[in-house]
Amino acid sequence: MNDSAKTLNVHGRFEGRATTGWVRYVVMVQKEVLELARSYKLLWVPLVFILLGMMQPVSTYYMPVILERAGSLPEGTVIDIPMPQGAEVLAQTLQQFGTLGVLVLVLAFMGTVSGERMSGVAAIIMVKPISPLAYIGSKWTAMLLLTWGSLTAGYLGSWYYTGLLIGEVPLIDVCRSLFVYGLWLSMVMVIALLLSTWLRSPAAAAFATFGGALVLTLLAHLFPAFLGWTPGSLSGYAYQLAASSMEDSKMLGYAVASTLVGAGVCISLSAALLSKSSTDE
Amino acid sequence: MNEPFVLADLIPVLAPIFVIQLILMIIALVLCAKAERTRGPKWVWVIVIVLINIFGPIAFFIGGRRSE
Repeated sequence: MNDSAKTLNVHGRFEGRATTGWVRYVVMVQKEVLELARSYKLLWVPLVFILLGMMQPVSTYYMPVILERAGSLPEGTVIDIPMPQGAEVLAQTLQQFGTLGVLVLVLAFMGTVSGERMSGVAAIIMVKPISPLAYIGSKWTAMLLLTWGSLTAGYLGSWYYTGLLIGEVPLIDVCRSLFVYGLWLSMVMVIALLLSTWLRSPAAAAFATFGGALVLTLLAHLFPAFLGWTPGSLSGYAYQLAASSMEDSKMLGYAVASTLVGAGVCISLSAALLSKSSTDE
Repeated sequence: MNEPFVLADLIPVLAPIFVIQLILMIIALVLCAKAERTRGPKWVWVIVIVLINIFGPIAFFIGGRRSE
């Protein structure tokens, strides 16, 4: 905290002609990444994703053995579980990331803005010539960095183990589904950022984000014909892409576009909320 | 799945998972030892981190430390 405040001081003093908005934004991103490293989030969040990703194919592969050893089944019971396809296991991994992974990410970032506002750090930053958009944007950049990094590491771990134990899945399918699922996670993180700016309590922001993401996915999956273009349907498309059984690529295009627009709107809203509340106080 | 179940076959597959769990546990324990104040008694956190796989360390990372 002290170090980053000092950097900002220096840049605050030299501002004017010397620093552009872009430079300030880069400094803010450096501060956010430093904070991720200091809080060890840069280390443990990717590790959790890798663990979740690796455990899915391994537990699928050993499920018959686990049942045989742990279950109190009578002698001679024949356990016949069909081994799923590699692509199915990858889709299951994505579902794991969608529940536990999202939970970890949202809880890790629930206080990202509200915590700094409570401790007064946000007020210190906002009196410097840093626009609310640069402040929110730097938070967002750091969040996306960690989200995409963790997702990629965990998914590749899962892909490696799936290929080893269950069946090869073409890398191109993996990359496509990774991209689409990453977009969905990015949308969830943008909602988390907005709610963290809006709500005072980090816990309320976390639960509202989780609930909001759930509602978005549920609605999109219940009414695919009407809401197939919304961000909530992205996770479903990612499962289909992993299994290379994509039916409607036009809808996927719309969903990607609506997610990008939605993310833009959420970021502008957060910046607007931040500048409004900082003038209020 | 019909071949006999040998523990030695499992080790190369499961070793990375155990190693990552161990790393998570060690980071959490080090942070717990270094933290000036934790939310709740420290020895309870040590037990939680050591005994509960994966979720013990995660719980400590998310909610265990009080920010100064």
